[in-house]
Amino acid sequence: MEGKGWSRREFAGAASLLALALGLPSAAVYLDGLDDADAPSDRQRAIMREVADMVIPDTETPGAGAAGVGDFVLLALAHGLEGARAALAPDAVSTTIRPHLRRDGSLDHARWLESTLDRAVGGDWPSKPAERKLEALATIDAQAFGPEAGAHPWRMVKGLILTGYYTSEIGGSRELAYEPLPGRYDPAVPVAPDTRAYSNEWNGVEFG
Amino acid sequence: MAQDFDFDAIVVGSGITGGWSAKQLTEAGLKVLVLERGPDIPHQSGYKTEMKAPWDMPFRGEGDEELYEREYAVQRLNRHFTEFTQDHFVNDKDNPYQTGEGSDFNWFRSYNLGGRSLTWGRQSYRWSDYDFDANRRDGHGTDWPIRYADIAPWYDLVEEFVGISGSMEGLPQLPDGKFQPPMALNAVEQAVRERIMGRWPERRLMVGRTANLTEAKEGRAKCQYRSICQRGCSFGAYFSTQSSTLPAARATGNLTLVTDAVVEKVDYDPATKRVTGVRWIDKAAGRRRSATARMVFLNAGSFNSVHLMLNSASEVMPTGLANSSGVLGTHIMDHPSTLSVAALMPGFEAVTTFGNRPTGTVIARYRNLDEMDGEGHTRGYSYQGGALQSAWVRGKREPGLGADYKNSLRGPGPWRVVLVAFADCMPRASNRITLDPRKVDADGIPQLKIDFAFGAEEHAALAQAKADAAEMMTHAGGQVLMGFDRPGTGGGAIHEMGGARMGHDPATSVLNKWSQAHDVPNLFVTDGAQMSSSACQNPSLTYMALTARACDHAVGLLREGVI
Repeated sequence: MEGKGWSRREFAGAASLLALALGLPSAAVYLDGLDDADAPSDRQRAIMREVADMVIPDTETPGAGAAGVGDFVLLALAHGLEGARAALAPDAVSTTIRPHLRRDGSLDHARWLESTLDRAVGGDWPSKPAERKLEALATIDAQAFGPEAGAHPWRMVKGLILTGYYTSEIGGSRELAYEPLPGRYDPAVPVAPDTRAYSNEWNGVEFG
Repeated sequence: MAQDFDFDAIVVGSGITGGWSAKQLTEAGLKVLVLERGPDIPHQSGYKTEMKAPWDMPFRGEGDEELYEREYAVQRLNRHFTEFTQDHFVNDKDNPYQTGEGSDFNWFRSYNLGGRSLTWGRQSYRWSDYDFDANRRDGHGTDWPIRYADIAPWYDLVEEFVGISGSMEGLPQLPDGKFQPPMALNAVEQAVRERIMGRWPERRLMVGRTANLTEAKEGRAKCQYRSICQRGCSFGAYFSTQSSTLPAARATGNLTLVTDAVVEKVDYDPATKRVTGVRWIDKAAGRRRSATARMVFLNAGSFNSVHLMLNSASEVMPTGLANSSGVLGTHIMDHPSTLSVAALMPGFEAVTTFGNRPTGTVIARYRNLDEMDGEGHTRGYSYQGGALQSAWVRGKREPGLGADYKNSLRGPGPWRVVLVAFADCMPRASNRITLDPRKVDADGIPQLKIDFAFGAEEHAALAQAKADAAEMMTHAGGQVLMGFDRPGTGGGAIHEMGGARMGHDPATSVLNKWSQAHDVPNLFVTDGAQMSSSACQNPSLTYMALTARACDHAVGLLREGVI
């Protein structure tokens, strides 16, 4: 017991009891509330789920598909997280981007991705063999991070896939470590080959 | 006491200084009314998101940017504004303000019980005579009527109650205090400290002095190293009104606290030349109320205390309460600040940390102390920052897909050191707040208008800070990634202060050395509005010390029957 405050153990117990009592769920992603113009099609949802899973696949922990990241990305795009609904700079608008701009100058990333993937395989991306699909996505990824890519739309989508995965329970507490109540600060801990980073190391998330 | 009056004292605001006024005045036996404009946020039970993980939140902690653009256009620019903390910040749409032509100012606010004590950065530093003597020495602004010796015992008092962890460094420009044991530097910070000091002994990198407990205090547990303070801390491990001053004030039985009470006017009696009480809008009931008191403490936050004085103009004080000098609202300041350097620091790949330390590091001011070595500026800058490891977000900058890419983001990333400079802001008459004659808020109260710009001194200081930072990082073995030398938008440091400055002369200042209005002896302004210069370190501890000092003086005057 520290002073007259709650002890760490009592506190953690009370907090988890509170969560139980309130029946707090892990937040599901609700796309129902979106305006019609922002509501993704079933095809876009399927594509985004598969694309997310190609970026972060199942390994010894489940990947982005299992973590529901596709729908999170679509929600995040619709609500403009991480600047996704900002108007594009004029020099970022190429001929392949222009058809997918909204009236306000922002890009409908979901439509852009859908059309770009289809074009890359010369047809219906979802129905192509897995290797062909992955190859098309890898080509886009390489272009997006190439020396002349500039503000490539794939960077926005990929960034939101990472956000969605590492802030999910699977990504944030199974792939990475999560310690909500460290209780102490160790300033120098040896790194081992299997050391996992903490998803709630907030400075590293904010400034890293 | 309190005969013929409803209360002995009315305190406007429940933030860092309002909480202190409430505690000091009630503990002295006074009957005190505290008015808070925002809603109640009770300690512990009011911290709704404290225990939640990102996956418990609809927008994973980042928040609904669509909502933020619409209703939190300014607050969302605050780095502590997240989905977890959004209810601890003001709704900009409902609480508008104006900026003058050519001005840009981000006014970050928390209208709730505890004010910004709930969301503050907790960095707590004493000022020194380099700061209190600054205006006299270089001729900017007006001379402070106090020096370090006047405030030192009050720093002692507030530090011991607040609970500040920090290291003793023996630096005259950043005096040591009554500290709890410091939090530790990590391995990289320790090495960088030694490397910098090896070449520049006067440049001292130390762990931030922070109002987070490293030892339990009465009713408060020590820090749990979560570093999510702005959500509210049920352990009471950082100083806030809720965790600290409010329980103390309540324990006296002398406190009346009213929330949802927007004070619109302080009443002034020209016959007695005293303020007699305040009027407020009861937001819950939708009606106007008032109360009387022997004295009034304004602790509404720098700009809102000044706003209230301007809005309390009367026939005999047509330009604002206690404004015979005409300087009310002028000489506002906020620290110019920027990221001076971000550098990779190789060689520490074998080490990481455990736990989230809720403070960074500081390099105390070293320019323009006994030798005037500033290039184009006469005051100082200091750095806050620290060494950290890139998290999974580094993957956003890297090409790759699949298992190898996923695995590459699993461990802690490369070490980086960041240094953010905070420089002195010069007090200038042209930087000022006024009432906008054309714009009113939903209650019909004139909106605040802010005219603000940084000048040549601030730009020169940040330019030198950038050059120094790159030099220090390179010397320490780092690889400089980036650095900036332009100040961000005013208000960004969330250290807005001034507007009712302290001074010797009633003709050129609003307050005397006791934070007491020259014109009105029973009116005290003890928040940031009283500041005559800005120094380059965080100001909250100084506000607290000046508040405790003013309370002691006011109680003495009351007992002597002077007010």
